[in-house]
Amino acid sequence: MNVQVVYCNHQTADLSVREKLAFSSEDDLLRAYDVLRERFPASEYVVVSTCNRVELYTAQENASDAPTSQELAAFFSDFHRVPVEAFLGDLLEQTGAEAVRHLFEVACSVDSMVLGENQIVSQVKSAYEIATKGNANGPLTNALFQRALNVSRRVRTETRLSEGRISIASVAVGEFGRSIFDRFDDKTILVIGAGEMAEETLRYLQNEGVQRIIVVNRTEERAGALAKEFGGQAEPWSQLDDWLSRADVIVSTTGATQPIVDAARFRKARKQGSGKPVFILDLGAPRDFSSDVSEVDPGVFLYDIDDLERTCAKNRAARTTEIAKARSIVEEETSRFMHDIYHKATGPIVQRLRERWHDVSRQELEVLYRKLPNLSEDDQQAIDRTVERIVNKLLHPPLETLRDEARDGTPHGLLDAIMRLFHLH
Amino acid sequence: MLSNVTLFCFFASYLCALVIELTRLRLKNSVTRWAAIGFAFAGFIAHTAYLFERSRTAELPPLLSSTHDWMLVLAYLTVVIYLFVSTIDSSLGFGLFLLPIVVGLVGVSRFVSQSTTPGLSVTRGWGMLHASMWVLGAVGVVIGLVFSVMYLVQHRRLRQKKLLEDGLELPSLERLGRLNWWSIVISVPLLTLGMVTGVGLSLVSDPSTEAVRLTQPSIVISLLTWLGMMALFAWLLIAQRTPGRLVAWRTVWAFGFLLLTLIVLQVFNRGGVHGVASDHSAMLNQQRSGLDSQPLTLTIQP
Repeated sequence: MNVQVVYCNHQTADLSVREKLAFSSEDDLLRAYDVLRERFPASEYVVVSTCNRVELYTAQENASDAPTSQELAAFFSDFHRVPVEAFLGDLLEQTGAEAVRHLFEVACSVDSMVLGENQIVSQVKSAYEIATKGNANGPLTNALFQRALNVSRRVRTETRLSEGRISIASVAVGEFGRSIFDRFDDKTILVIGAGEMAEETLRYLQNEGVQRIIVVNRTEERAGALAKEFGGQAEPWSQLDDWLSRADVIVSTTGATQPIVDAARFRKARKQGSGKPVFILDLGAPRDFSSDVSEVDPGVFLYDIDDLERTCAKNRAARTTEIAKARSIVEEETSRFMHDIYHKATGPIVQRLRERWHDVSRQELEVLYRKLPNLSEDDQQAIDRTVERIVNKLLHPPLETLRDEARDGTPHGLLDAIMRLFHLH
Repeated sequence: MLSNVTLFCFFASYLCALVIELTRLRLKNSVTRWAAIGFAFAGFIAHTAYLFERSRTAELPPLLSSTHDWMLVLAYLTVVIYLFVSTIDSSLGFGLFLLPIVVGLVGVSRFVSQSTTPGLSVTRGWGMLHASMWVLGAVGVVIGLVFSVMYLVQHRRLRQKKLLEDGLELPSLERLGRLNWWSIVISVPLLTLGMVTGVGLSLVSDPSTEAVRLTQPSIVISLLTWLGMMALFAWLLIAQRTPGRLVAWRTVWAFGFLLLTLIVLQVFNRGGVHGVASDHSAMLNQQRSGLDSQPLTLTIQP
């Protein structure tokens, strides 16, 4: 089995690059899987696309079937119509155990901008479900992603990584929002979009005492459902400008592929308002507010995902011990997973090799016992045990080598050599 | 014992507290916090002893005895606010903004008149009211100025998204704006009262002393500054859309100018706001040999 990941995330690439490569909707992803299947039919795929990362996992039975990173970069380029040069330097690749470890770290949120965040688990799960829906995954990626979710559960149970501020919303509101506003219970909160990120943000804001929540979404049913859950009110998309002028806090999390609010639109909205400070939290990737919105007037405080990076670094530095514990669990689980893969790939061959050698030894011993009929039963048993030990000792070095080689992935070359040398076909 | 306390004692203590506050930008822990508070408190004790001794020698309350003492009372009240805020809030970078003003006031007080204001002794009650209103209004001005500067710094940090880079912790813009608003609303009426009682005093003072003339440049400038602040006050109360940043800028200009005017006038006119010509002031100083012969002066030479 071969596992590979090609990715860019908040540590390797700016939001301006990530938003170009992001898959902003399920439809986008399903179309991407169609293209991938067509280009690389022997592979399985899962794409994890969030505001902080775009990662394409592939798995194949044979390493020779794996697409190269250049081929995958070309896929990104063609699909998003972005020249390869615009992102190639930001794209990283991991294979084998490194790729497995990377996914486990992502699922445990060790690799997240906000350490210990819970949202990544549902994002990984959702990515896997969409891949299933698009017939993109298979037995290898199934095993990999199921294990990743288990590892994530284990890290959350055995470490204190998920204590304190563990969502992007909590970090953003806690650091920036609290530096602008003293309290939130007298503020009007406008949420644009009704996805999971919006829900997460509202949950945190509600804990901060927010009472007036307005949800605006293109799909009014979803806006209504979200507003109902948090005791807010849903407003039609056509009323967006009106609410832009009245809100104190704006949280935008849509899956739009282009900014929905530019400077001209926002300036017009501000002229109708009271000119009070407004805190805009743009959690969309691609961004929902164009960056020049912050220049509309000095009362506008616009923050996007990348602006939270420094705050999150502080959060990370405060949890060094927990990160070490989490990494140790990830390491252990990666080894176990690779070991399981090894067993899965080498198990039948090792079994056949053992059986073949023991069959040969049994046949030869039967010939021997027929030639020496005077041997007692005890003598025969002693000889049986000796021969078995000899066979095991002879098998030990090649099997040990096989096990060592399998730590970094399935040793296809070695397995092929063993099968040919001992005629195991 | 008390007479050995010099201006330098508390000037140096406040300066140490300020330096420690500056180091807290990089090294924020309870040791540095309490060290800053400790130095400020030591200075506060010395400051109290100094004012007490001055008052005892002059047989007048510090507010009335001289411009030097009045300025020290202003610094003293500012230190009380610093100690109070720093003790209840461990993280706030209040001292960084307030202590420079305290150090400045104490330092400048060395160069202003130490002679008693002539003519006030006949109307001591009015004089006390006038000086008290002025000093309380001036404390409001100092605090308003500090809040405004803090507002502008916080605003800049938020706009440039650099909240964590300088190690500074400041209150929210909303709170700073509110505190700033209140400082203006409280200090302007107090200064107005101070102004009115000052004019009243000039009318009832002994005409032979030639102590205070309303046409004196210092009085005229103070009056103009006060008018500027009244305009700010009226604008705050009347205007419906008052962006916090604009309020902060106008406060910095108005309060900053007032404070600067106050200090510069005191330094260049050694007779003080209430003084007359320098030679007359010098004569009065000579007459008050009791005060000037005391070892209460700053040990660093001007």
